[in-house]
Amino acid sequence: MPDIQQQTDVLLRMQADLRRALQKPAQERRWVMVIDLRKCIGCHACTIACVAENKLPPGVVYRPVLEEEFGTYPNVTRRFLPRPCMQCEEPPCTPVCPVHATYRNEEGVVVMNYEQCIGCRYCITACPYAARTFDFGRTYTEGTAEAAGIILGQSRADDYERAANYEYGVAHARLGAEESPIGNVRKCHFCLHRLSAGLLPACTTTCIGRATLFGDANDPDSLVSQIIARPNVIRLKEELGTQPRVYYVM
Amino acid sequence: MLLKRIAYLVCVLAVGLGAWGFYDRLINGHQNAAYGSYVVWGLWVAMYLFFAGTAAGAFMIATLDLLFGVAVMKGTGRLALWVSLVSLAAALLSIWLDLGHMERIWKVYLQGSLSSLMAQMVWGYTLFGLLVLACLALTFFNSGRALLRALLILGLPLSLFISGAVGALLGVEASRMFWHVGLLPVQFPVFSLASGTAALLAAVGLFGSSRDPNRNQQLRLLGLSMLVLTVVKLYFLWADFSQSTYGNVPQNVDAVNAVLYGQYWWAFWILQLLVGSLIPMAILIQPRLARDGRWAGWAGVLVLIGFAAARANIIFPALTVPELEALTTAFSGPHLTFAYFPSLMEWAVTVGIAGLAVLAFLIGNDLLSLQRKEVA
Repeated sequence: MPDIQQQTDVLLRMQADLRRALQKPAQERRWVMVIDLRKCIGCHACTIACVAENKLPPGVVYRPVLEEEFGTYPNVTRRFLPRPCMQCEEPPCTPVCPVHATYRNEEGVVVMNYEQCIGCRYCITACPYAARTFDFGRTYTEGTAEAAGIILGQSRADDYERAANYEYGVAHARLGAEESPIGNVRKCHFCLHRLSAGLLPACTTTCIGRATLFGDANDPDSLVSQIIARPNVIRLKEELGTQPRVYYVM
Repeated sequence: MLLKRIAYLVCVLAVGLGAWGFYDRLINGHQNAAYGSYVVWGLWVAMYLFFAGTAAGAFMIATLDLLFGVAVMKGTGRLALWVSLVSLAAALLSIWLDLGHMERIWKVYLQGSLSSLMAQMVWGYTLFGLLVLACLALTFFNSGRALLRALLILGLPLSLFISGAVGALLGVEASRMFWHVGLLPVQFPVFSLASGTAALLAAVGLFGSSRDPNRNQQLRLLGLSMLVLTVVKLYFLWADFSQSTYGNVPQNVDAVNAVLYGQYWWAFWILQLLVGSLIPMAILIQPRLARDGRWAGWAGVLVLIGFAAARANIIFPALTVPELEALTTAFSGPHLTFAYFPSLMEWAVTVGIAGLAVLAFLIGNDLLSLQRKEVA
């Protein structure tokens, strides 16, 4: 039996899966991410794509790639483990929020309401995967040189840095004051703004090894639902009962 | 008198340093803080636990005089309530400055989540603050004694709840083995009572009225209570750490090792154990010294220093242990580190808040006739 991932380019297949899923009511979708650790080469392209897509400032990261080394010479192996938000079905981070600023939306994605968040960071301490970071209001251009004319200096680069991102479909310009999302907790949201436009998450489309897969697990014909039914799939810290929606193929 | 003048001077200097810290915090937000997205709570949260615990404990001590009518404690109730109020104000200021959006604090009251222990705690401490204020006001009136008793009866379980809730706030976090201890909500009210007792010991010993005929007896009673509570505290510490080490769950053992041998070893061995426990015990176990205002008062101050360090030793170490081992090197950037030592701005704010609290205590003690000044 041929490998289901070999039948067609998985990106094309996932895009077809996505179009099918978007035809359904939101509450009937079950977004799932699958990361094939055998294919991940540790290029960090997903991390950078996420930073660019969501205009993440210094110190805020949604999808770092953890690098681990096992064994001793000559039997040494490296493993690269991308770690997005696990979008838990039983998230420990949401009930602790004192103001309902973080919750699972109707598609089961754990989201942030930046205008509601008071920045207490209790949710960060509750997450067993360290998948949340706090926006301290840093900029990449702070401390860099000013430059006049056409040379790209702080004043020009600053424009890009201050431009709005569109997380959750809302424009959040970074104007330098303590305006949201500065002073808020931030996290991976499976690129909901891209999904609603019929696009796969930035990390998925950027993965050069096709190691990151995405789709609707409620659709039995989707690529992800076929892969997560295999026995060589694990989820992180399952013993905590969080029921993550990110699966790793070993 | 000299001590009081020195205390005023130190407080004014502390508030001056704090003013710079407040300015930096309000202008630059959290940018100059050393805490980050991994060690997410720092000195201000630790000081919140400390001041809030002291406030609840001081209230419990106040009930000895005002509710239970313990003869030897007569005249200390109003002073204890003032200590409680001042300490609570310091706690709330400390945690308010820690918020990413201070201006949204109203949301906790009007749009709060019932399931959040933090929201419950904010509501509880606000109610507690109002209750302490009302009790204090009522002590100045001869009428309203029945209402005062009713409020004190209500306040006693409330003080237990709010101090226990702080322990539960940490204890419910199943992913942090160091905090996820069933005993934590039980330990915290005991710690609160101990720090409240220490605060009263310092207040009565160093700034108490020398004309109060019961002062020596009060110091002895508070000192003996302090001794018992310190022994209980040390037992809790032993039970917690030995159990964690024996259980040998890596994340928990790492956190305990961080306390005992890590970057905060001195805070545990020197501040928490030696300064905050053993030296005060050595003083208070001697009846002659325990009845002496200066010795007993300074013993109380040392216990408070120990408790401040203990609160920090509960907060920081649990957060310096990575949830996933390879996170330490996965992504670099500002505020993405598992090492933490408070920044100058954080220290300045904390020193300022402590200075404000002690200054408020001194002014209240001078102007509000908080203590008995004549022979009964």
